[in-house]
Amino acid sequence: MSKRAILTVTPPLVLRLKPVIQMSDEQLLELCQLNRDLRIECTREGDLIIMPPAGGESGRQNFNLAALFGQWVHADGTGVGFDSSTGFTLPNGAMRSPDLAWVRRPRWEALTQEERRRFPPLCPDFVLELRSRSDPLGYVQAKMQEYMDNGAQLGWLIDPLERKVSIYRLGAEVEVLDNPSALSGDPELPGFVLPLGEVW
Amino acid sequence: MSNRVTITATPGVVLRLSPVIEMSERQFAELCYLNRDLRIERTKEGDLIIMPPAFSETGRQNFKLTQLFGNWVDADGTGVGFDSSTGFTLPNRAVRSPDLAWVRRPRWEALTQEQREEAFSPLCPDFVLELRSRSDPLRYVQAKMQEYMENGAQLGWLLDPLEKKVYIYRLGATVEVLDNPSTLSGGPELPGFVLPLREVW
Repeated sequence: MSKRAILTVTPPLVLRLKPVIQMSDEQLLELCQLNRDLRIECTREGDLIIMPPAGGESGRQNFNLAALFGQWVHADGTGVGFDSSTGFTLPNGAMRSPDLAWVRRPRWEALTQEERRRFPPLCPDFVLELRSRSDPLGYVQAKMQEYMDNGAQLGWLIDPLERKVSIYRLGAEVEVLDNPSALSGDPELPGFVLPLGEVW
Repeated sequence: MSNRVTITATPGVVLRLSPVIEMSERQFAELCYLNRDLRIERTKEGDLIIMPPAFSETGRQNFKLTQLFGNWVDADGTGVGFDSSTGFTLPNRAVRSPDLAWVRRPRWEALTQEQREEAFSPLCPDFVLELRSRSDPLRYVQAKMQEYMENGAQLGWLLDPLEKKVYIYRLGATVEVLDNPSTLSGGPELPGFVLPLREVW
């Protein structure tokens, strides 16, 4: 008897809101809190990007990444780390939740308590996105470009499907690595080495 | 032992809006218009049910159903038929799009032009048909059927191609379940309508 595994491939849904609905930052935060089982982002045009929760494989990979990165963040101490549930309001108005983010301490501390409570109004210095099965490549590449256009210094796009990593650096061309065993965060994340075996 | 991987569509994403966002009927209609590539319904609580377009097999089945039902609707003439893209605003404020709907002519003609042409008409159809897609949990579609009946539908058919079962909902009767029927008879609500299911499954 054959076993059938049900693989759910869920592309992000894009729900256009403007001009019918105009939400304030506070309303967007409340909407996200009302829908904690969904992962919601907002484009610069005010469209909602809605994704159901991550599957087990994605969750496992994210967890490992967070654990490995977290160790370095705490040892290094010069910045603050954020997990995949955190939303940031970028300078262009979009609200995004990178799978991992890191903000240099002075920038974080310059925010008011209110700004820290909401979606912090800044683009993280470092962002990591893990491409899931349902993300078209062009879509995630555009996301990375948006982070760089909004002030990120370093961005990593990890593609477990193709075993490729795209490295985005301020003022440099995108570097694509094929099946790397580890990633070095130098010089932006000095001394950070991400062993990818735990992620693939 | 072989492993087969089946890709299924996601069930609808439920986006809770109330109390953060409260939309009028007009705004909801505009939102649907703005997102015509999505299929959007609204629950009575004001939550949005958002679905991507149907996979092709579902579209094929829907098309077949519309064709077969459409022939009867025209020949019978006492009511008006609607396809799966049509939204109706039920008495409980939910906005739903059954895969097939039929409204008796006097009720349709009692609506104003605006209610017919610029809104999800404020009525529950007399007859509704829902085709269960792979991604719909059975409980979920059964609850949808129940909602139609509670809002005034006289006859409801829930077709389950997966299990080859049909659930018949009638006003004032318990739900009747048919196992792999070859045809469905619409009498007395749809007198003379016979749906040959092999053309649909």
